[in-house]
Amino acid sequence: MSANARVRRSNFLLDVTLFVICILLLTPLILLIANGFKTPQEMLVWPPTLFPKDPTLQNFHKVFTETPLLRWMFNSLTFAILSTIAIVATSALAGYIVGKFPFRTVNVIFILFLATAIIPFEVYMIPLYFQVKALGLLNSVGGLLIGYLVMSFGIFLIRQNVIASIPDELLEAARIDGAGELWIFWYVVLPLLRGPLAALAVLAFFQAWTTFAWPIIVMTRKTSFTIEVGLANFQSAYTIDLSLLSAASAAVMVPSVLAFVLLRRNFVEGIAASGMKE
Amino acid sequence: MATVEIKKLRKSFGDVETLHGISFTIPEGAFVALVGPSGCGKSTILRLIAGLEEITSGKIYIGDDLINDVEPKNRNIAMVFQNYALYPHLTVAQNMGFSLKLLKKSKAEIERAVKHTAEILGVDKLLHRLPKQLSGGQRQRVAMGRAIVRQPKVFLFDEPLSNLDAKLRVQMRAELKALHRRLATTTVYVTHDQIEAMTMADIVVVMRDGNLEQVGRPLDLYDTPVNQFVAGFIGSPAMSFLPATTMAGSSEMVLSDGQTLSKPTYAALDGRYTIGLRPEHIRLSGDGASFKVTIEASEQTGSETLLLAGLADHKVTILLRERFDTPIGGVHAFVIDPAAIQLFDTKTGVRIET
Repeated sequence: MSANARVRRSNFLLDVTLFVICILLLTPLILLIANGFKTPQEMLVWPPTLFPKDPTLQNFHKVFTETPLLRWMFNSLTFAILSTIAIVATSALAGYIVGKFPFRTVNVIFILFLATAIIPFEVYMIPLYFQVKALGLLNSVGGLLIGYLVMSFGIFLIRQNVIASIPDELLEAARIDGAGELWIFWYVVLPLLRGPLAALAVLAFFQAWTTFAWPIIVMTRKTSFTIEVGLANFQSAYTIDLSLLSAASAAVMVPSVLAFVLLRRNFVEGIAASGMKE
Repeated sequence: MATVEIKKLRKSFGDVETLHGISFTIPEGAFVALVGPSGCGKSTILRLIAGLEEITSGKIYIGDDLINDVEPKNRNIAMVFQNYALYPHLTVAQNMGFSLKLLKKSKAEIERAVKHTAEILGVDKLLHRLPKQLSGGQRQRVAMGRAIVRQPKVFLFDEPLSNLDAKLRVQMRAELKALHRRLATTTVYVTHDQIEAMTMADIVVVMRDGNLEQVGRPLDLYDTPVNQFVAGFIGSPAMSFLPATTMAGSSEMVLSDGQTLSKPTYAALDGRYTIGLRPEHIRLSGDGASFKVTIEASEQTGSETLLLAGLADHKVTILLRERFDTPIGGVHAFVIDPAAIQLFDTKTGVRIET
């Protein structure tokens, strides 16, 4: 076999493998969407049909009229956007300071930031709950946000980028040119951090959008649920009617998929930067 | 324009003192080069003048103003960095107008000043480009433009040409010098390249290990260095050094292999000395004493011949202004004029007037 043919054969094998993986990943998703359009009878058919024989919009109609699904999505969106803004702001400021002002106290604070990353949320979830309760913030976006204003990984990510891509001379040149420190941060540092900040924003947004444990303990009123909590709640109340849950899940996926398509590049950068996928 | 006066300047980083009480004055409009090997403290002086580091003790005046506690932005200085430090997200015009914008000048005024400066530097066609779209030489010019545009009292240059290739460096050297003649702004220029210092500066400040070795005009440093360090640092190819001894009353200086150099004033000396020979002072013919020299390597550049040779068990460099073809390993007679020889105290390195 010539080298050329060998390359072609391995490429073909690679394509086949990727195609199979792709099908395996997509099938549950397609099945979920399809289930949303099935009648209760067809739901129970074995083997399950990939495409509904008799598609109906009844499930969607029922979900949107009988549960506050849109409200939940709105709650999640508000929470995710506010959390993203807060995390981007705190990470940019703190990351820049710990990256460029290496005083002893600053270094100690940075180590404390990092230390928070190794304490699991579950450890301080309950004490935090009592604090939020004492503050009267249960069932409010404020209470939800309290655990999601700062992200230690975000500070670390920005610090690394500041060190790698903003030379000291640039800041010194700006100081000599007559710029104040805030001015330098706003007009020199922030524009240069646009890439990593966008990546961080995507990470922060999806962290908030998909979070479950904290919302389920601070949001006790049905109208203040986030979408994750709402879906879970749904499941226990309608266990028999799988088609309703499928329809709700399919509806919820729309904004996520839309956001992913729009921010695909930042999303990939974010995962590459963090070296992990949650 | 202003004078810069530095008085007993000291700087410590933690427990390590890097400047040990430096004093010198830069006259108004002068081009001063701070030169020395890496780690000698030359960049630190520049950063102290700029206000980027805190002064440990001593005083710096710009004009009549003591600037020890003045913020960098209020010192009315401009600095050009080795890596240019252009704002990557701003165009050439925005980079150059940055300081004027901070001074709250009007848009029209900034535009006029930037355009004028860009024309002087020949970058007026590049005003809308980003730094990454420029070549090294163009970036260098823009960095200088950013410094010039605000018409500061003092220019500070921190090895601005070291990131350029050799040919461009020579060209920029001439351009910088011409620019200085035109603007006549007091300039402090840090470099480790003594050729840059020699060719551009009115005054050269030679430093070593946080101390001032010598301050003077370039050719004065070349002809009458105060010590062996300055003699060896200034000049390229560098001066060669040979040990020699003499006895009181004898006008002969004896090299380690027995060859001798004589000069009447040597009679006043006694003991061990170090002889300094500039490469161009060892010649094929002319006045002076003849010496046997072993040729070890030869580099022909067309107009000159550079020889690495052995004289009295030591290496010497010989620069001939002519072509000279000789077999490697051959022994040849060269002439050294005793008048051109420098003599140093072997212990202290101080030059001895003879």
